Amino acid sequence: MQYILISLVFFPMAAACLSYLIGRKNKNVRNVFCVCAGLIELALAFLCVTGNVTSGSLPGVCGFGLHFELDGFRRLYVLVIAFMWAMTLLFSPGYFAHYHNRNRYYFFNLMTLGATMGVFLSADLLTTFTFFEVMSFTSYVWVLHEETPDAMRAANTYLAVAVIGGLAALMGIFILGNEFGILTFDSIREAARDTEKTALLYTAGGCILFGFGAKAGMFPLHIWLPKAHPVAPAPASALLSGVLTKSGIFGVLFLSFCLFRDDVPWAVTIAVLGACTMFLGAVLALLSVNLKRTLACSSMSQIGFILVGIAMTGLLGEEGTTAARGVVLYMMNHSLYKLLLFMAAGAVYMNLHRLNLNDIRGFGRNKPLLHLCFLVGGLGLAGIPGTSGYVAKTLIHEGILEAAEHRESMAVALKTLEVFFLASGGMTLTYMTKLYKAVCWERHPQKQTEYDAASGWLPASGRIALIVPMAALILFGLAPYRVLDPIATAATDFLGCGAPEHAVHYFVWENLKGACITVGTASVLYLLVVRKLLMQKDRYVDRLPSWLDLENAVYRPLLLKVLPGILGPAAAVFGENRILTPLFGKTVEGFGHLASLFGENRVLGPVWNGVQRIGAFLLQTVGTLPDTAVWASARTLFRPIRHLDRGTEEDGLTYRAGSVLDAFRPRGVDGEKDHRMANLAVRIRRTIEDTTHLVTGNLSFAMFMMAAGIVFALIYLLFLR
Amino acid sequence: MTMYLMLFLMGLPVLAGVLLHPLHLRGAARKAWCIVTAFLEAAGTLLLLFQPESSFTVLSMTDTLTIAFRLDLTAKIFAAIAGFAWLPVAVFAFPYLEHEGGEDFFFSFYLIVEGMLFGMDFSSNLVTLYLFFELVTLTSMPLVLHSLEKESIAAALKYLFYSVGGAFLALFGIFILARYTDSLEFAAGGCLDLSAVRGHETLLLTAVFLAVVGFGAKAGLYPLHGWLPTAHPVAPAPASAVLSGIIAKAGVLAIFRLIYFSVGTSFLAGTWVQYAWLGLSLLTVFMGSMMAYREQVFKKRLAYSTVSQVSYVLTGLFLFQEKAVAGALLHVLFHATIKVCLFLSAGAVIRVTGKTRVEQLRGLGKAMPVTFWGYTLASLALIGIPPFSGFVSKWYLAEGALASGVPVYAWLAPVILLVSALLTAGYLLPITISGFFPGEGFPAQERNEGPASLWLPVIILGTATLLLGVFSAPIARVIMTLAESLV
Repeated sequence: MQYILISLVFFPMAAACLSYLIGRKNKNVRNVFCVCAGLIELALAFLCVTGNVTSGSLPGVCGFGLHFELDGFRRLYVLVIAFMWAMTLLFSPGYFAHYHNRNRYYFFNLMTLGATMGVFLSADLLTTFTFFEVMSFTSYVWVLHEETPDAMRAANTYLAVAVIGGLAALMGIFILGNEFGILTFDSIREAARDTEKTALLYTAGGCILFGFGAKAGMFPLHIWLPKAHPVAPAPASALLSGVLTKSGIFGVLFLSFCLFRDDVPWAVTIAVLGACTMFLGAVLALLSVNLKRTLACSSMSQIGFILVGIAMTGLLGEEGTTAARGVVLYMMNHSLYKLLLFMAAGAVYMNLHRLNLNDIRGFGRNKPLLHLCFLVGGLGLAGIPGTSGYVAKTLIHEGILEAAEHRESMAVALKTLEVFFLASGGMTLTYMTKLYKAVCWERHPQKQTEYDAASGWLPASGRIALIVPMAALILFGLAPYRVLDPIATAATDFLGCGAPEHAVHYFVWENLKGACITVGTASVLYLLVVRKLLMQKDRYVDRLPSWLDLENAVYRPLLLKVLPGILGPAAAVFGENRILTPLFGKTVEGFGHLASLFGENRVLGPVWNGVQRIGAFLLQTVGTLPDTAVWASARTLFRPIRHLDRGTEEDGLTYRAGSVLDAFRPRGVDGEKDHRMANLAVRIRRTIEDTTHLVTGNLSFAMFMMAAGIVFALIYLLFLR
Repeated sequence: MTMYLMLFLMGLPVLAGVLLHPLHLRGAARKAWCIVTAFLEAAGTLLLLFQPESSFTVLSMTDTLTIAFRLDLTAKIFAAIAGFAWLPVAVFAFPYLEHEGGEDFFFSFYLIVEGMLFGMDFSSNLVTLYLFFELVTLTSMPLVLHSLEKESIAAALKYLFYSVGGAFLALFGIFILARYTDSLEFAAGGCLDLSAVRGHETLLLTAVFLAVVGFGAKAGLYPLHGWLPTAHPVAPAPASAVLSGIIAKAGVLAIFRLIYFSVGTSFLAGTWVQYAWLGLSLLTVFMGSMMAYREQVFKKRLAYSTVSQVSYVLTGLFLFQEKAVAGALLHVLFHATIKVCLFLSAGAVIRVTGKTRVEQLRGLGKAMPVTFWGYTLASLALIGIPPFSGFVSKWYLAEGALASGVPVYAWLAPVILLVSALLTAGYLLPITISGFFPGEGFPAQERNEGPASLWLPVIILGTATLLLGVFSAPIARVIMTLAESLV
């Protein structure tokens, strides 16, 4: 039965190859096939989730075997991934109607599906890493799909971050492999529990965090995210944002709940990074005037919320169940909300081919479906009561408060974190309001009639792809106790948490208070910042200074200029061999001249030619005989040196010279002369003699070899050509 | 049976190569002659892999000085890369040389070198090894000077000087070593006579150090790596492929035999020699990939890449740790496949379009998709992206380094391996990227890949880099047993 589990990973990969072959014959059949593949994958996921398969492995494959596991958390995510892929595949044919290279897109899309499944199902770190790398490379092709300069640049940033992050993570995995031997999550969890956390372990954790955090879009490695998501095709952005960033979070979950469980310094690090990501992402989203860029920055911010949740779980230790439930629900919610919002943005883009808010304003007027999408998505992301986003946000908020109680020494820091948390939540609502108002309420100054007349702006398959996740989200939000609580209970096992000690009541004043603060902050921000500061003459303006870009200001110069600038010349000093090349170079040049001189001067004529050809081959085969003869003679010269401890008068001058030295030495205890220096002098002389012998013997042999080679070269040049 | 098979493998290509010119074969007959020879060699190699271990002596000049051969696991590994790589390269070489001419000479030496390589792989003592080491140098040099232009002659001479100079250093070491060993026969763990060595450790260590540096000339170890970037751009692509992929491994074999089968690691472990070797090899790893990163001539970039990658192998050998040794031997296998594939794809590009510089390759992925796919697969393998083959060997190398406990190098080695992997990505992937994704508005390219014999070897080898990675477990297991028996 484990084959169903494994087929979740490999079925999409096979389908990818098949779709490519089909696509070369018939594009429509290919489109249908891909949608079917997505639905089959969803069905397989259902089968797996409802079945009783818990693990599967392919021993020996990919060097170390691939190991898969299916626990509650993975069940949830397998379903989410399969669902999101099915929806985006359903959305794709309409979206890509006028695109080139669709075959390429579908091939890499389905490959990535398999790899992503592999990441989330993996039971050991090497399997995770293998699929993580495959996923990075195959998803790269989506980002640059349009091949515009922007897309190329963003894609290359994405690839660079993926490669550097991947290698950093690999370093961490090396260290863990050396430390623990076995890399399955369970064994690491067991082993790490009893291990003293050494600097080495933190280094490993830091390296792995670098790799997975970069994929998640964690500050300060978020640089690729706001660039790659807007330029990728909308279905791809939805997946990048909804699923691929979560694979980075999956790595962080492993670190926080297997390797550094209940480790306070680690949790604090994650909390700080998470808070930065959360707040910075929200600010960037607020400042952005591009629909998809806003959503991308929002993804970054939401990842920050999730990281904060993870950190709180870590700080709370045994009592972290509430926060852990928040993390799981937040991950699922964010995946689904971003699916909905990015596809809605895609629907706008496929009609207008613009993403700037000033250009697309008013497109959503009189389109109830778009209204609904932005409304559900916006309210949900912001965590307004009545949506599933509210439940998740409340749980994490609760986690912060509990942590402040639990760790009194950090109470002030955690209160500050809460302020940031609420402020970021407020900004979320602000930028979502900005989007919603711009797209669905405002009027375009020139083209409004044209926009209103756009009938058939989304084909039926696309509508289904929007309605299904929306319906699911509304359902989740309306029945938190019935739907979300069981999901959270089932899915927190990966985080090492069981059932909650106490049920959280979502609709009581303490929890609703947070939402009220959010709404309050948002209204103030919207009226003061968005309407006053970010709008000028009724147009949205980009107030973000262009020089304030971590990538262009720091990373690119560092990688492309500073490192090669310093290390490159250093390598060149060695690489071009400043010592040996001139030495050999001149000699070689001289021989080159000589050879070409002979080569062009064929005086000996055709008579000699044939003789020489045979001779050359003979020489070449026989050439080794003198070789060995010389070797043999040299060998016989080296009879082992007799070790004479005492020199005698027969050693002549050396011995006498040594004796003179001996005369100056104090006499031994017994008053006898021991001739030590004389013996030493004799020994030194013999060593020198032997070595000279050795060197001359070798040198002559080497000269002989060299000469043979040159003669051979000359003969070849002269006669064989 | 085994003996005859070994003699057949060594003798057939030499015979075929020597006879090629006098027979005056032309066109299809010549092609058939060479390819059948290479095919028989490949088939023989396959058969060889399943033969039991054995050894035999051909000639004994004195009782300690013999020409003797043996078949053991090491011999099988190195014979396998030569036997299996020679066939696709031969297939590739025919269309490649169509315009350059001089096929007779190219192929006669091409075949003879294979015989010499087998001789070196099978050699059972240092004397035989050294003999064939020189022969490989002498017979492979004509491959470099094939075009007979001034640069190629100079490059061939440089190759000759470096190799012979290196061999001189090695010979010096062998002489001294001979004084302190019972015999020059290879034996796992070495055959040093420790009582004779006492008091002469420094001399012996220096000699072995120099011997390894000397043999390292062929493997491109700093400071004798200079011939690689000179010789490769001027040699014909199939010659570069075997020089880089297979013949450079002859240096690795010599070093491997010298350290693990003659001197023994117990004598060398923890001495300055080990640290100096590690320093040199890691310097080469980094320097090679940095130079490749800066290099714009396609084949020269690949040559620097070889400098770097072969030193991965040497680093593994110098760590004296079983996992590292296993990683090194795996990397011998994988790098051979990868580098042959990369050079053949560079050759296919040169043959079809005449383009030699990296920046000229933009958009070529559309014109030569199969070749570029082969190149891309091999590139990913060289960077060490799982599940490609390079990942497996790098994993063993890094784990071996960390477990070796050698001060400083234990963690420096993995770090440099990864930095170098990053640079590898930096110098290989841009070619794929600009080849396949030239950007919006780039003029559409007419598809033109040349004859099938140009792209088929590339894609087959490219796929092999992936499959070797996916199904590497049995190979790794066998190699691990060898490594465990040595350390």
